[in-house]
Amino acid sequence: MERIFEFLFKYPPLFFEQGDFTFGAPMSVRLWLIIVGILGAATVASYTIARGKSTVTDRGVMAGLRVLLLAVIIVCLLQPSLILSTVVPQQNFVGILIDDSQSMLLADENGEPRNSFINEEFASDESELLRQLSDRFALRFFRFSDVAGRIDSPSELAYGGTHTNLSRALDVAREELSGVPLSGLVMITDGADNDDQPLAESLVPLQAAGVPVFTVGLGEESIAPDIELGRIEMPRAVLEGSSLTVDAVITQTGFENSTVPLIVEDELQIIAEEMVELGPDGEPVVARIYFELEGVGPRRVSFRIPPQPGERVNRNNARSVQVEVRGEREKVLYFEGEPRFEVKFMRRAVEEDENIQLVVLQRTAESKFLRLDVDDGSELEFGFPTSREELYRYRALILGSVEASFFTYDQLQMIADFVSERGGGLLLLGGHGAFSEGGWQGTPVEEVMPVVLTSPSDDPQGFFAEVAVTPTPAGLTHPAVLLGVEQDQVRERWDSLPTVTTVNPISQVRPGATALLSGSGEQLALEQIVLAFQRYGRGKSIALTIQDSWLWQMHADVPLEDQSHETFWQQMIRWLVDGVPEAVEAVTDREQVEPGESVQLVTNVGDSSYIEVNNATVTARITSPTGTVEELPVSWTVQRDGEYSVEFRPLEEGEYEVEVTAERNGEALGSDKTYLYTAPSDDEYFSASRRTQTLRRIADETGGQFYTPEDVSSLPEDIRVTGAGVTLVEELDLWDMPFLFFLLLMLMGGEWGFRRIRGLI
Amino acid sequence: MSQQAPPRVSRPSFVDTRGPRMDPNETPGRYPFYWTRAIYSGWGRRGWGQSWATDYPKGDQQFLVVLKRLVRLNAYDWENAIWLDDPTLRRFPIIYAVEVGGMDMTNAEVEGLRSYLDAGGFLIVDDFWGQREWDVFEYNIRRVYPDHPIVDITLDHPIYSAYYDIEEVKQVPAIGRAMYPAECYGCVPYVKGIYDEDGRLVVIINFNTDLGDAWEWAEDPRYPLEYSTYAYEMGANMIVYAMSH
Repeated sequence: MERIFEFLFKYPPLFFEQGDFTFGAPMSVRLWLIIVGILGAATVASYTIARGKSTVTDRGVMAGLRVLLLAVIIVCLLQPSLILSTVVPQQNFVGILIDDSQSMLLADENGEPRNSFINEEFASDESELLRQLSDRFALRFFRFSDVAGRIDSPSELAYGGTHTNLSRALDVAREELSGVPLSGLVMITDGADNDDQPLAESLVPLQAAGVPVFTVGLGEESIAPDIELGRIEMPRAVLEGSSLTVDAVITQTGFENSTVPLIVEDELQIIAEEMVELGPDGEPVVARIYFELEGVGPRRVSFRIPPQPGERVNRNNARSVQVEVRGEREKVLYFEGEPRFEVKFMRRAVEEDENIQLVVLQRTAESKFLRLDVDDGSELEFGFPTSREELYRYRALILGSVEASFFTYDQLQMIADFVSERGGGLLLLGGHGAFSEGGWQGTPVEEVMPVVLTSPSDDPQGFFAEVAVTPTPAGLTHPAVLLGVEQDQVRERWDSLPTVTTVNPISQVRPGATALLSGSGEQLALEQIVLAFQRYGRGKSIALTIQDSWLWQMHADVPLEDQSHETFWQQMIRWLVDGVPEAVEAVTDREQVEPGESVQLVTNVGDSSYIEVNNATVTARITSPTGTVEELPVSWTVQRDGEYSVEFRPLEEGEYEVEVTAERNGEALGSDKTYLYTAPSDDEYFSASRRTQTLRRIADETGGQFYTPEDVSSLPEDIRVTGAGVTLVEELDLWDMPFLFFLLLMLMGGEWGFRRIRGLI
Repeated sequence: MSQQAPPRVSRPSFVDTRGPRMDPNETPGRYPFYWTRAIYSGWGRRGWGQSWATDYPKGDQQFLVVLKRLVRLNAYDWENAIWLDDPTLRRFPIIYAVEVGGMDMTNAEVEGLRSYLDAGGFLIVDDFWGQREWDVFEYNIRRVYPDHPIVDITLDHPIYSAYYDIEEVKQVPAIGRAMYPAECYGCVPYVKGIYDEDGRLVVIINFNTDLGDAWEWAEDPRYPLEYSTYAYEMGANMIVYAMSH
């Protein structure tokens, strides 16, 4: 297309984009307009006077064609031309930025690696392209991957970079060439940027300096056939023995609707395997896989799909995720307003779980409490906590059948804050004293609840219904509801459990909340929401609206060996405490980096009431894989209350332990530990297809052009007319464009043809 | 908690009819707690093999009235008796068996009681006296749990402090026997128990004592306050303990 344009209009489109249009004729425009007017009027008059056999329409058409013909001739006489700034040969520089990352070694469909283009066109003395560029410009070569720098010649490229950072490459080249007349930058890459640095920040200075970037895209836009294991959604810390639900995003091309295994390994031991059905080409599928991690400490969990026959890239079939398996006993407070069997059976269900300490406070009479599994005689000595400090010691709170009026307003607000500010988990159980029936409407806790409360029943006996419980579609994939069986058996297992009862009619969840279990029964007018949850502030709240889940253990229809009740409660409480923050919490911005790469350690510091502390002394103790210890002060960021941060560079390969301690005025506020893994990255093999959109954007926003190896030959001439650097003004004649000649012929032929058709000859 | 309406049926007779003795219009589960009496095969003073029904239903009703005043318990106000081989038994995690000296369980009842206890049920045994009745009970409970030892529940056990602090195991006499509480010569009161494989107390045995009579006759001025007080304290403790352990 471009060639046809150039044939018709004499110059390539870029010339017209860059140049200014002008007329070279010496006389004034007014004079030319007068001449055009006179000639036009004479033409029209001659066709009007000489009537012959012609009709008015015939004469109009012929006069029009003749006027157009005259107009084209006059345009040519006006000497149209393009004024173009072109660079002065050998007085300007061009920076050539070449991708030096591992992805350049990936082979294309023809079997040639991507860097073969670089070798042929930029590293070979016989390259015509390089010769033309060298003739016009002084060339400066740069290589880039995660870092960028000058090289003397492309033969120095090693293609070992494990990341690609286009922004950094542009920044480095612009800064290095800022003192010389720069005609443009040529960026040769697949465009597969895998750094988080925003591109716009690098393009704006180039736009301001008027430096165009010419991008040359290498590789295919779609690598086929190939399977890629993309994002892995997994928490960074889990409680030992917890059931983990992990989502893995799998994309593929060329393996449409086939089934592949997804294997999970912990320390080279296979701990889970799931067959994943792939969808249509190019459409990602999310595979959900369940497993447990045993043994406390940092772990490297690997996910992989075995290479499939004919697959082009194998190294994007595996990913590893760093996770910390925590062994602490998570302290959960269960406050029950009256003796109920839920207490007994919940305690039994979790008693073998070494990671859960279920502290029970049961009101047995007015102002009389039974305390179970407390640490010492002072714990909960005076009943339900009256201070935030006391309540926030627990990571989760379960409220049983206890009416709202039992609590003071401050305590109710404290319960709401426990979720929103402390980030704790709140579980509300059904019962005569729960929800609307317990007067919780209008309290600060109502806002926290994931369900909508309605007015309590007018029946003096109260509402009562038997409920058959079944998982909702969302519940079918939620670990708290899986009951330890395979996913396809979850519904069947729930259907086999006996009915339970509720005294709290609840049929609606709050906007943003999710129902996981629902229930139906003869006494229920609407479907009962049995289990629902929502995020609230920093924490989460869960409502379980039945009052006797113990029937799933005790009922005669449940076999004695059935573990549904135990599994349900273990998973529920683990879910309740999952992700609950500590007062001092440290996290690195990435779980895995390369040796030498910088890592940001962010620590949130609060006191025992979880109020952010800005004047703490925070220290990070970093232990390298070989045992070298480095202590770094962590400073308050100022931007956010209680947030401290420090940057460090792990140099060794392996696992780093980072322990952060915080104190204020000599008093310890708390400590936390996090882990970091350093290893060479495989990122270059993921999403490695050519990013045409990105490369086009770079070119478009800076006034450059995008090329592929097939059309890159015009690059030297295109740079010449960009106007950057030391330039001279060239005037290019347009009157002799073939297009104008063809137009004249067409107009003359058109009139002759019209006369023939109308019989006017 | 308001007084509940009485059952809308006449009291069940003591003939051997199967099924729960609860008001048939009542659905188990409406209340968190039902004071449930175990019906078992056997022989006894009430004739037709009805030793299970001693003090029934007045003792049960009276016990509930007082218990609900002492403990914040949302309980069904009326008696609830059920056969040990009835599957519905598993809806009531605490059962009370009296005069087990007259017990002669069928195999189905043995199976029913074993699965009940294994599933998480709790059995309170009361009102049997002397070696002969002990032997009868032991023979029956050995059919349920052949290998589980019957051990003394000493005063340091949490059951004695679950609600009231009980410092002494007392011999509670039947009505009219305040002067000579023991119903057998030289009988000493014991509280014994059976634990399951996981170390949980699943059976508590009040031997050589009659808590049930104290509950039944507590309102009678002739009945010694000391014993009725102890009986209610022990009753409250057993229930609070069994509902939380």
